[in-house]
Amino acid sequence: MNDRLAHLLVRLYPRPWRGRYGAEFEALLRTGRGGLRMSANVAWSAFREHVFPTPGLRIEQSPFQSWCVRAPWAMFGLAPLLLLAAAYFVACFILWSGWNIFLPGTNTPFVPIDGLANLYFQVGRLIYFSAPILIGWAIGLVARRQRLKAAWPAVGWILIALIGGTAQVRASRTAVLSGVGHIRMGFALGPSVHGIPDGLFHALVILSLTVLPYLIWRLQKTHSVSS
Amino acid sequence: MRSTRRVVAGENDPGMGHYSDPPLLVLASLASGPKHGHAMIEDIASICGTRLGPGTLYGAIARLEQQGWIEPLPPEERRRPYRITAEGARVLRAKLTTLRQFTKAGLQRLEAL
Repeated sequence: MNDRLAHLLVRLYPRPWRGRYGAEFEALLRTGRGGLRMSANVAWSAFREHVFPTPGLRIEQSPFQSWCVRAPWAMFGLAPLLLLAAAYFVACFILWSGWNIFLPGTNTPFVPIDGLANLYFQVGRLIYFSAPILIGWAIGLVARRQRLKAAWPAVGWILIALIGGTAQVRASRTAVLSGVGHIRMGFALGPSVHGIPDGLFHALVILSLTVLPYLIWRLQKTHSVSS
Repeated sequence: MRSTRRVVAGENDPGMGHYSDPPLLVLASLASGPKHGHAMIEDIASICGTRLGPGTLYGAIARLEQQGWIEPLPPEERRRPYRITAEGARVLRAKLTTLRQFTKAGLQRLEAL
């Protein structure tokens, strides 16, 4: 049978059935002689499978895939937030530890510095600024691999962009009595630039950067299907 | 055992005479050893003259596998062989025994005509 026709006929079956038998069934169809009778037999069997699905047939899903389907709110809402919180914690810890190691006498770690200390602080800075974008890309990658619709990933992107855009770090040596330094994170829209709050502008930038790879993939997919 | 009636019949099919219970045919075919889809079609055609369509065959395979009466083996290239399980062999034996009793009774009645 013609490869293209075999592939098309297999596509008539429900997704769980295809997930389990699709590859081997397509191989069988390709070795067959084809013809109208065989095609009709396959089409009828596919129709039957839709109406009377094979009992107990399940796709062998990994726990990860299963979570994506069963709890998308956790995969695209909660998990990115926890990841971002962890990344911010690491960034703040680097800031705090660098402050105590390299700048013990200063009231703030946000002072001009160079050498090894500068490198140390830049690592934390890199984690802090890249975390929302990397997590956003990860959301898009998971959505792409699992071939999910964009609704839940969009929730994750918006949350991450808003948090990333409005997050602010404040440090004060005098905030606690021991004087070991105190790092605090807050979220604020900030002052307006050209009528758009600064935080919102940053959120839009992060959103654009994180959604971009997913949009490119969707456009490529649409283009390949139409051509 | 559920029968799937749609079968791609042979050229000289008079409408009767070819046994067409695909799950049972698949079990009977696998009773002689593991086979992949194409080998099953050929084997079934040789033992009873019924040539199963690929859709019918895989409909039967899917149901038999879910019932635990056959099991898949590691794929050879893209083709996956199947083998009958102990439970499948037990079911096949019970079914064939019933058929033998049915055949015997039917033939005895014919002789009495």
